[in-house]
Amino acid sequence: MPQRENQDVQDNIPGIAPTPLPQSAAKQPLPVAKAVDAQSVLKRLQSELMALMMSGDPGISAFPEGDNIFCWKGTITGSKDTVYEGMVYKLSLSFPNDYPFKPPKVKFETSCFHPNVDVYGNICLDILQDKWSSAYDVRTILLSIQSLLGEPNNDSPLNTQAAALWSNQEEYRKMVEKLYKPAQQS
Amino acid sequence: MHDSKANDSSVSANARDFAKKRRVNRSAKLKQCKLDARREQWLSQVKGNSCKVTPMASPPTSSSPPVSMPRPQSCLHDSDMVFPAHIPISNSSGNTPKVGCCLNNSVSRGGSTRSCSLSASDGEEEGGRGEDNVALDDWEAVADALSAYKVNDGCHPSHDTGGTFVESHVPPAPVNDPCVQSTMKPEATRTIPRAWRPDDVFRPQSLPNLYKHQSFPTNMERHFGAKVWSHPVILSAPSSCPICYEDLDPTDSSFLPCDCGFRLCLFCHKRILEADCRCPGCRKQYSPVEGEKMDMSGVAPLIPFQLSRSCSMSSRS
Repeated sequence: MPQRENQDVQDNIPGIAPTPLPQSAAKQPLPVAKAVDAQSVLKRLQSELMALMMSGDPGISAFPEGDNIFCWKGTITGSKDTVYEGMVYKLSLSFPNDYPFKPPKVKFETSCFHPNVDVYGNICLDILQDKWSSAYDVRTILLSIQSLLGEPNNDSPLNTQAAALWSNQEEYRKMVEKLYKPAQQS
Repeated sequence: MHDSKANDSSVSANARDFAKKRRVNRSAKLKQCKLDARREQWLSQVKGNSCKVTPMASPPTSSSPPVSMPRPQSCLHDSDMVFPAHIPISNSSGNTPKVGCCLNNSVSRGGSTRSCSLSASDGEEEGGRGEDNVALDDWEAVADALSAYKVNDGCHPSHDTGGTFVESHVPPAPVNDPCVQSTMKPEATRTIPRAWRPDDVFRPQSLPNLYKHQSFPTNMERHFGAKVWSHPVILSAPSSCPICYEDLDPTDSSFLPCDCGFRLCLFCHKRILEADCRCPGCRKQYSPVEGEKMDMSGVAPLIPFQLSRSCSMSSRS
């Protein structure tokens, strides 16, 4: 029921996704130039991948998963001098077919004890939702999430326990370590 | 809707063809210039007294792509912060139009200026050859030729220093002025080779600089040259659209849809107009003009003189 753009997008992927979903053309009244779109998304993602690999930003990385350039796996290392220091978190990024115009879906794959991350790994970050701008890219997303780790927004927590504990950094760190499960698969 | 999209793509294809053709032309002229330069180098070596000039006169043809370009690091720490870059841009919005201007000029003027500067160089060279044939020991002529070179050399670095500025800052117009020659800055000389060689892709443009630099709009070169590798978002006039990463053609480059100075190509702009209609750079709504296609009127109040090109497309400005 929710006319969510991501849903539309999934349906519109024209064969580039390895699992071509049945096209429900009725949803989006813009059957125009889909191939062109896909091409441009492809180009953009490839360029981003290139830029990301060239940039060598410390603590973040991402790479397409398998053959599908619309699904990436990323990693974020907790910044120094934060309670997340030394932790390595895996994320998944899935890009919609109208990607730069719509944000990718980003989730933690590794469970992450954080006020703005729920138990399923969903991230509450404005730039991944209403504050998205098509000029953001994977790199800025990952950097933003990395800085979100150290600077949570405790006012609108998904994980209230984490938000409550944040004031006690020592206990918090223990919690982070206790709940941290290094990615065993995927 | 469908039609317009199709037209768009065909237009873009045409534009790309056109650009390619232009590039070919340019490279041909460039070759000519190189030949000239080499001949002159040879001449001057024959004279045996102008070694100091020759390195300038013959830009090395080896393409040594830069290993490391300055890469502005944007640190997006604050989730609220969109683009730190849009601040400097908007601050210098009084200046930015110049870029567009120069772009336009370069397109329309490029041929003529190049040819005349070429002819000038030919003249120089003729002088050199004359010496060669007629009076080998005509030191006055040699000195003249040398000073002619020096003037060019002096001019060149003064542009280069411009090139090494922060990109978002467009230095005031005098750079374009031929009279810069007279006010050449000696201290700038040292950075010559590094400032231009790096941009491999656009280096051809800088090769003939010795001859045509005075008249060629340097802003364009600088922006095109320096922008290639850097993070597009940071810079005021990227060479490619920060949204789709396609190259910006001159029309796109002179297209400034938002006060914040965020540039993007017309296609992406159109896409955004069809969707949430907010500028990716500042998230503000684009000025609500319903005539969507080529709506340049949002630009008009800010930079009226930039519209030499766009006026023809939109009658409303």
